[in-house]
Amino acid sequence: MNQKKKTRENEMPPDKMKFALFLGCVIPNRYSFIERATKSVFEKLNIELIEMDGASCCPAPGVFRGFDIDTWLVIGARNITIAEELGVDIALMCNGCYGSLLEVNHTLKTDKKKKKMVNEHLAKIGREYKGTSKIRHVIDILYNDIGAERIKQRTKYGRKSPLNLKLGLHYGCHLTKPSDIRPWNQESERPTFFDELVEVSGCKSLNYKDKFLCCGAGGGVRGAFKELSLDYTREKLENMTKAGVDVIITACPFCHLQLDLGQVEVNNIFKDKISAPFNIPVMYFTQLLGLALGIDAEELGLIRSPDLKGVPPFVPLKPVLKKIGIKG
Amino acid sequence: MEDIEEIEMSGREIPKIGVYICWCGINIGGVVDVPKLCEYAETLPNVTFGKEYKFMCSDIGQSMIMDDIKEGTINRVVVASCSPRMHELTFRRACREAGLNQFLFEQANIREHCTWVTMDDVPGATKIAKDHIRMAIAKAQKLKPLKVLKVKVEPATLVVGAGIAGINAALDLGNSGYKVYLVEKTPTVGGHMAQLDKTFPTMDCSSCITTPKMSEVARNPNVELLTYSTVESLTGYVGNFQARIKKNPHYIDQKLCTGCGSCAESCPIECPNEFDLGMKPKKAAYLSFPQAVPGQYTIDMNHCIRCGICEEVCPTGAIRYDDKPEYIDITIGTIILATGYDPYDATRMKQYGFGIYPNVVTALQMERLLSSFGPTGGKVRRPSDLKEPETIVFIQCVGSREFTGKGRKYCSRVCCMYATKQARSYKEKHPKAKIYIFYIDIRAFGKGYEEFYNDAGKNYGIVFIRGRVSEVYETEDHNIVVRAEDTLIQRQLELEVDLLVLSIGLEPRSDIDDIARIFNVTATKTEDGFLMEAHPKLRPVDTLTDGIFVAGTVVGPKDIPDTVSQAKAAASSAATLMARGEVEIEPYYSTVLDFRCAGCKSCIGLCPYKAITFNELKKIAVINEILCKGCGTCVAACPSKAIVQNHFGDDQINPIIETAILKKINKREVKVE
Repeated sequence: MNQKKKTRENEMPPDKMKFALFLGCVIPNRYSFIERATKSVFEKLNIELIEMDGASCCPAPGVFRGFDIDTWLVIGARNITIAEELGVDIALMCNGCYGSLLEVNHTLKTDKKKKKMVNEHLAKIGREYKGTSKIRHVIDILYNDIGAERIKQRTKYGRKSPLNLKLGLHYGCHLTKPSDIRPWNQESERPTFFDELVEVSGCKSLNYKDKFLCCGAGGGVRGAFKELSLDYTREKLENMTKAGVDVIITACPFCHLQLDLGQVEVNNIFKDKISAPFNIPVMYFTQLLGLALGIDAEELGLIRSPDLKGVPPFVPLKPVLKKIGIKG
Repeated sequence: MEDIEEIEMSGREIPKIGVYICWCGINIGGVVDVPKLCEYAETLPNVTFGKEYKFMCSDIGQSMIMDDIKEGTINRVVVASCSPRMHELTFRRACREAGLNQFLFEQANIREHCTWVTMDDVPGATKIAKDHIRMAIAKAQKLKPLKVLKVKVEPATLVVGAGIAGINAALDLGNSGYKVYLVEKTPTVGGHMAQLDKTFPTMDCSSCITTPKMSEVARNPNVELLTYSTVESLTGYVGNFQARIKKNPHYIDQKLCTGCGSCAESCPIECPNEFDLGMKPKKAAYLSFPQAVPGQYTIDMNHCIRCGICEEVCPTGAIRYDDKPEYIDITIGTIILATGYDPYDATRMKQYGFGIYPNVVTALQMERLLSSFGPTGGKVRRPSDLKEPETIVFIQCVGSREFTGKGRKYCSRVCCMYATKQARSYKEKHPKAKIYIFYIDIRAFGKGYEEFYNDAGKNYGIVFIRGRVSEVYETEDHNIVVRAEDTLIQRQLELEVDLLVLSIGLEPRSDIDDIARIFNVTATKTEDGFLMEAHPKLRPVDTLTDGIFVAGTVVGPKDIPDTVSQAKAAASSAATLMARGEVEIEPYYSTVLDFRCAGCKSCIGLCPYKAITFNELKKIAVINEILCKGCGTCVAACPSKAIVQNHFGDDQINPIIETAILKKINKREVKVE
């Protein structure tokens, strides 16, 4: 009985899963390696990702929804219709896109008047929102559909993993809140699903003060009040440094940007406020999972050619790669 | 009760039906046109007249029915009004008092089943009301007079749960001369109240008022105390219940144990202590607390390693490692359920760090810390370093008034007051301490409560801040930092304090489903998970199962005075039944037609009430009229249609179905639309 159960856990779901991959704006424009790493990991786990031709900005929840809800709904609905035509659910890598499209989908499923309004606009370009596709964050797919245990069976190293880094996880706000329409069992306070997922790599996720504090970038704050937004980042980085974090792991390209490029900016703006300049490498979580699954570091976008200037990552990954025995 | 001479009825006379339609104020009359319904009723066969009145349940309404019966104009009564659960007995009583057999009455529910749920659709509601009236009249044609059964009530009560509610109910009944079996799951009586330090608003020492009651109930000659016992099963009916009680093994002979405590002193095993909520270990051989009643020791076999030391030291040789559970069967007339509550599990509110940070405690733990026989001897110490806290924050409504699914939606009613009490209690001993209470609203509704709360702010300097704490974190020296908004001055604040107390709410017991199942009160479970009373206003301590009463927090959160009031009310309700000595049972039982029964026995195994036996002589099934609850399972199952049920026979139900689907009952072939 027990053995039977074990083998079942080992098996992947029988049908090959298919998702439409929604890229958003930040990944293609600034952090293309997030897309590369995610695609590699999903390929390794035998999940198909389909391109979404014609997808636009999600649109950003803080900015668009903040100014005009109807515009936000129509643009969001248009993106969802692309996946509906493909007949699959949407997978996405950005907390902002996740929050935006999830809430657009929820609003249109529950509010008949808004749905009618949206479809009137979409009819002008020959589209119709039906509400047949679900919105899934890649963490949701990996954690809830595949399961941390199954991924662990597929990791390269097993118990003696050379990946023994101390991780500073950053969940990001839209990933968990508001909790009642998200797949985390109503849990928005001190959740652990992301920790469980990345710990399959053999690394240890640390608890640090204010782990669930915002990175500072979201809600248009980075655009409007850059110094204020970076002050959040500074606090977050200080707490992580105090806990002894080797590498920051993110679930969202915008948080990634704020914690990566943000370190350079914090070191500049708060020169007098901080004791020493920050220099903590930042990885998107699929990059770390990719390493654990035995994918080449270069394919995961972890190694940057030395003659490339002004492209991410802004904080060099070399020290952390050296620690796990990868030549950068 | 005096006997009223009943008008002779064979059940075969031509029905003369009086239809009475109630306005129920505007509940029914505000939606449907009642006079038109009367006119409609009069068009139906065998209806003598249709009458209307504002409130049929009132004295005048009832007199209308009684006068018509006495005049002899009618011999069947149909009232179209509210749910039969509300007033069936009222109208039946009116019929009986006028001399008509009370089972020649039928009620149509046009309030709950019609106007309340179809308020905004007048034509629709009218149609539904007509259907209900037509169906009730169809059944009324076929009603037969029945005789109620009378059974004797055993003058004994089973009280389940020996907290303050159970103790009070048992004492009241015991003192009235009735036999009481007081069953308690734990080894000692006293319940949650024994854990408390003081009681609000009088600041009486909780032990000082509980422990005398505890010993009184143990000494009462009419009360048989069955501690460390559970009710395994229950059969029977009001007046004559049979309960099987399991007495768990103490592993120490309770008759020989003198309570000297040498076993606990020499016991090498320390294990979690439920009474002190894990803040102090207990020995595997233990007495829950010094004043426990009964004062005999128990061995916790989940932790005992059977080393044999206690066996050696016990001066009376009372240790029994091979002790076995004992079962006793009792017969009782009435039952009082007083099984109490569970405190809310604060680990579910992860933002408050209970179970993560050592210096976050629940209010029940705080009670133990304040108590003179608590883990710290009444000197409050914070868990991380045993320092006396100088600053304390209380967070209110932890697990109550919570709509996220992690807590309960209701207000737990006691937390505002106990937090204020604990704060005052601590302030009395440590006048320099700073205490902050974060609240949503302060609900100080009882006698002397508002004054108590007001005094806490004015004269004790306790700071009440309106705002819900969003999250907490810990500093390096284990101080707790609380983040919140003072919503009255719209300022965000961060407070670093020594100790954080979570004012947890009250939840239904985790085994409430078992309780409901065993005592057959399953149907009375409401959304909040507590047991439901028969009527929230007028029958607050009754359940829908006759002879079973409820008291205290098993029905919902309440404070000690309310709990004691309910316990006394439940005791008085039980005593009323027992004092009368007999109860009437509804004659809705089924009977076996001897000539049809083939003796296949298929009904016997199906009966959930074990009411059917087999007559070996006649080779037929026989139904015990008193045990039978009239569920109808056997009627449906009988392959030779040999079982008929009173009041719900095929000849009574079929006309209802026919009239429901046929428009004109006298011309059967015309279908509705």
